[in-house]
Amino acid sequence: MNVDSLLAAWAPRVLSIVRIMIALMLLQHPTAKFFGIPHVAFFDHLPMLSIYMIAGVIELVGGIAFLLGFYTRTVAFLLSGHLAFAYFIGLAPKGFFPLLNGGESAVLFCFIFLYYAFVGGGSWSLDAALGPRSLDAVLRQADRAHAL
Amino acid sequence: MSLDRIGAAYQPYLLSLFRFVTGLLFFHYGVAKLFKFPPVEIFEDVTPFSLWGVAGMFELVFGAMLMLGLLTRLAAFILSGEMAFAYFIEHFPHSFFPLLNEGALAIMFCFSCLYLASAGGGPLSLDALLRIEPRLQPDVSRT
Repeated sequence: MNVDSLLAAWAPRVLSIVRIMIALMLLQHPTAKFFGIPHVAFFDHLPMLSIYMIAGVIELVGGIAFLLGFYTRTVAFLLSGHLAFAYFIGLAPKGFFPLLNGGESAVLFCFIFLYYAFVGGGSWSLDAALGPRSLDAVLRQADRAHAL
Repeated sequence: MSLDRIGAAYQPYLLSLFRFVTGLLFFHYGVAKLFKFPPVEIFEDVTPFSLWGVAGMFELVFGAMLMLGLLTRLAAFILSGEMAFAYFIEHFPHSFFPLLNEGALAIMFCFSCLYLASAGGGPLSLDALLRIEPRLQPDVSRT
């Protein structure tokens, strides 16, 4: 097996591994906000309907769906928009450069989710396991549309 | 299902966009560490041949290569390894939780680059233009 075919076989699996890690990195924020795991002092006394908590609900639900690879494209699209808002509301006012406004991870999250909105969840995902939804038919149709 | 259709059609181009942004963020760190632009407090005392300075050189050179899509797999593989080291040297000793040791970004960089090393740079890259690498486009969306 040469390197190219090895990579071709593994790229969709690595896609799923990366998806799981990114989901865990996102999920640590809502677990800290709602359950105190891990404990972060800044999140201690946030009022329930503050923008942080509403963001937390989006992150919790979206993060779990993304972790499992359930409706990956739709969820990733919503999370990408969520992070774009977070960047421009919370971080961009503090400075133009991501290094100065602390927004590097928001930027990276946003573009990772944007990519997943297009690529889907990879081999190891509920989307792939639940299979049919005639995804292949949809993709063949897309290929034809692209060829035209 | 229109999202699936659009996704399947444009996925290779989004891969190139994702590669560019990841490279840009690395480059941003490299420039800040070595050339002090923009001025970041914790990078003020970084000299070129310290541990952080060498990390900065990696980020500058391979970050630029990722932006251009030049030898994408090689550059991404090296940066992925660099970020794994960065996490375990700089962040992990502080706490087990990435939220507390501030290493979430390093983990995300590490895994993003791992993916780029396996998927390549997409159609909008110097690799594709110069045919340096075989133009392998694994069809990851068809799984």
